[in-house]
Parts: sequence; C-alpha cells; structure tokens
Amino acid sequence: MQLGHCRFDSDKGELINQESGLVWSLPRAELHVLRLLVEYQGKVVAKPILESGHKDGSHLSSASVARAIFTLRSFLGPQHETLIETVKGQGYLLRHHRARKETRYQRRRFTIKSLPVLLVVISLFSVLLLSLWWFNRLGPSISPTMPLSIDTVTLDSGQQVEMILYSPSNTNNELLIAQGQLLTQSLLHCHETVWNKVFLSLSHDKQVLNITFRGDYFGQSIIRNIKISDLRQPKRFINPEWLKQVSICDSSPVQIASSHQSWRR
Amino acid sequence: MARKGLWLINSVILLCLLACIGTIYSLTSKAPNFMLSCSSELFNHQAGEADHNHYLLVDLVSKDGLAQINYRYFDLSGNSAGTLAMTGKVNRIDTQRQIYDISVTTKQEYLGSKNVYKPEHYEYLSYVSGINLNKNGMHSLTIQVLERDEAKDYAVVLFQPSNTVCGCRLVN
Repeated sequence: MQLGHCRFDSDKGELINQESGLVWSLPRAELHVLRLLVEYQGKVVAKPILESGHKDGSHLSSASVARAIFTLRSFLGPQHETLIETVKGQGYLLRHHRARKETRYQRRRFTIKSLPVLLVVISLFSVLLLSLWWFNRLGPSISPTMPLSIDTVTLDSGQQVEMILYSPSNTNNELLIAQGQLLTQSLLHCHETVWNKVFLSLSHDKQVLNITFRGDYFGQSIIRNIKISDLRQPKRFINPEWLKQVSICDSSPVQIASSHQSWRR
Repeated sequence: MARKGLWLINSVILLCLLACIGTIYSLTSKAPNFMLSCSSELFNHQAGEADHNHYLLVDLVSKDGLAQINYRYFDLSGNSAGTLAMTGKVNRIDTQRQIYDISVTTKQEYLGSKNVYKPEHYEYLSYVSGINLNKNGMHSLTIQVLERDEAKDYAVVLFQPSNTVCGCRLVN
C-alpha cells in the first residue's frame, strides 16, 4: 500500500520511507489507526471506531488517536501529511489522492533530475547560436586599406592641400609615388584652389590611375574624379599636356565647367 | 540553497534565451540600404592615338541585402558608350570600419551607340570582372568608406581589389 513516498506493509506493521529507506515499526496505536484508515480509504472513519479496539478488544483514548494521527502525518512528511484529513466533528479520512500526489511528486523529481540536462542543452544551443552570430559578425576579417602616405602641399597663398595616396601593398609603389609627386608639383603652381584634399590610387595592374579631388565651395561639397588609362610603357599618366587639359588649379566649379566647355570644343 | 539554485537556473535560462533572441535577430536582420552615385572623367593615353575622353557614371545600390552596380559610359556629347551592369549580394557590412563586402554574381554588358568609341576603361573593367567571374563564378568586391559627410551628401570610397578611389554622392 503506497502512501505518498511511503509504503505501508500491513502484515509486518511497518511504514517504509522509500526515499530515505527508513523503516518504522508502527506502535500499536498508529498501526491500528492506519489499518482502519486504509480499510476505509476515501471514507470518513469516525473517532469512536478509531478509539475502539480492532481485533484484540483493546481501547484507545481520544488523545492516543490524535497522537497517532500526528505521528503518522509527521512520518509521511509535509508533502503528504494532507493524505490524512481531519473531518471536523466526525473523524479522519485517508484520501484517495495518493496517485495524483505521487505523479506530481514523480514529475517534480523527473523535472529536478532532468533540469541539468535541460540546462546543458540550452547552454549548448546558445553557444552554437552565439558562435554563428560571432562568425557572421567577424567572418573572414576584412582589414581596411590604410593610406600609403599623407603629404601636405602648401600653396603660395598659404592654402594647404592634403595629398593622400592609397595602395593595398607597401611594395612596388614607385609609380604611384612618382605620379603623386608630379601632381604635387603641378599643384604648387596654383596660387589657390578649391580643393583641400586629393586622393590618388593606382589599379593593382598599374593600368589606371584614379584621382579624386575634394573641396568646399561656399559650404557646398565639390568632388572631381579622374581616371586615366595608360597602356604605354613607361607610364605617363600625369604629363604636361594632360595637365593643361584638366586645369587642376581651377578655383571654382564655374571655371571648371567653362574649362570643360572649351575643352569639348 | 534550493531557492537560490532555482533563481540561478532561471537567470541562466533567461540569459541564454535573450542571447538566442539577439543572435536570431542579428542573423535575420537585413543589411542597411544605401545608394552611391559616382561620376568620373575618363582619359586614355593610348600610344599613337589621340586621347578619347569619356565620362563614367557608377551607381551602386544596395537594398535588402542585394546589390546592383551599374557602370555607364558616355562620350562628351552624352552618347552612351557602353554599360556594365553587375548584380550580387551584400555579404557583410562592417559598420565600425565602414567596409561593405559585396559578391557580384552576374554581369551584363551593353554596347553603346553605333560609331561611338568604346572607352579603354570599359574594356579594362569588362576584362578584369570577366576574369574574376569566370574563375569562381563570383566577383568579390569591397567598398571602404574613406571619408563621409552625411550633411553634404558625399563619401570618398575605395573599391578593392581594383584599388580604385572615387568620390561619390550619397543618395537618400
């Protein structure tokens, strides 16, 4: 007979706690009361019946029954003490709720036991997702290209122009540096200019020179991009004839536009 | 101990769930949209030939993780001298370093008007992108923002691996 986490052996008169393994040989009063409660399980057992002797004709006092109920409840523990219910003014009742209680208890035990496993699964899943996020965020790293050099050109007017050269490598940049120097020399011939920054880059196969001029004109941003292809050897991207065409000293977009117009003719 | 332990377990589960939500969000969130428009003057110092001058307009549009790059060539009279239209996807955006990693998967070439000289830069770009696409079926391209001013709607960007610097207008 199962009572919560205890098993009641009516023949031996023992109540065995299956969790702790504790065996309680029930004293006469407790055994008598429990046997009657089990016999009439689900029904109220009146106090006079509990007080009356069962087989041996002995008689229990009301206090002995109350003490027996108390000790039985204590042994069942706080989780299952409510199995023995007091019905006020009538007696005691052994409830039929053992199975439900047990299932709940077992479920809780199962939950407690499986909790670490659940935690490990959740943690692993989280680590997996975080790794995915990390990989997605970092991936194969793209390192930014840093300027090869930044030089400041000071014009006669005192105006300063930054000459910034970009190359993905630090080797074999003689051509780019030489073109930068040529452009610097030509800028030095300007008295003043709208440009305050010049970006220079040479394509990886050294076929195309890219120049970007950036400046401000009455608070407005001005940009001019030039791409020069030269298949000749040696390369002469920036040469005096070309410089005459593009008029890099132009100090206003109006002049730049007009220079284009005349150039188009 | 039991109650403290349960609180600890609850906190760990909550943190894990929050991490999962954050990860799923970051993995499923779409890349920000951007549009660049770059105009360049082209010069060709072809040996033994007169210089042929052209303009190049590059439009780079990224929307919902997809990218489209159009290289449109014009002569000084405004006649089309050819178009290279590339499509691909934005692999990754490094917002901190301002680097956009794009994979170009398709390329289409359109010839310009009749009797219009094909610019040397067009031939060059067609050849280089063709080599990369033929090798791997994918042309990897990174755009690094060197300088940017949202107020004045411009950005100076560097295209890699071609190592091309270009000043562009920021559209929208």
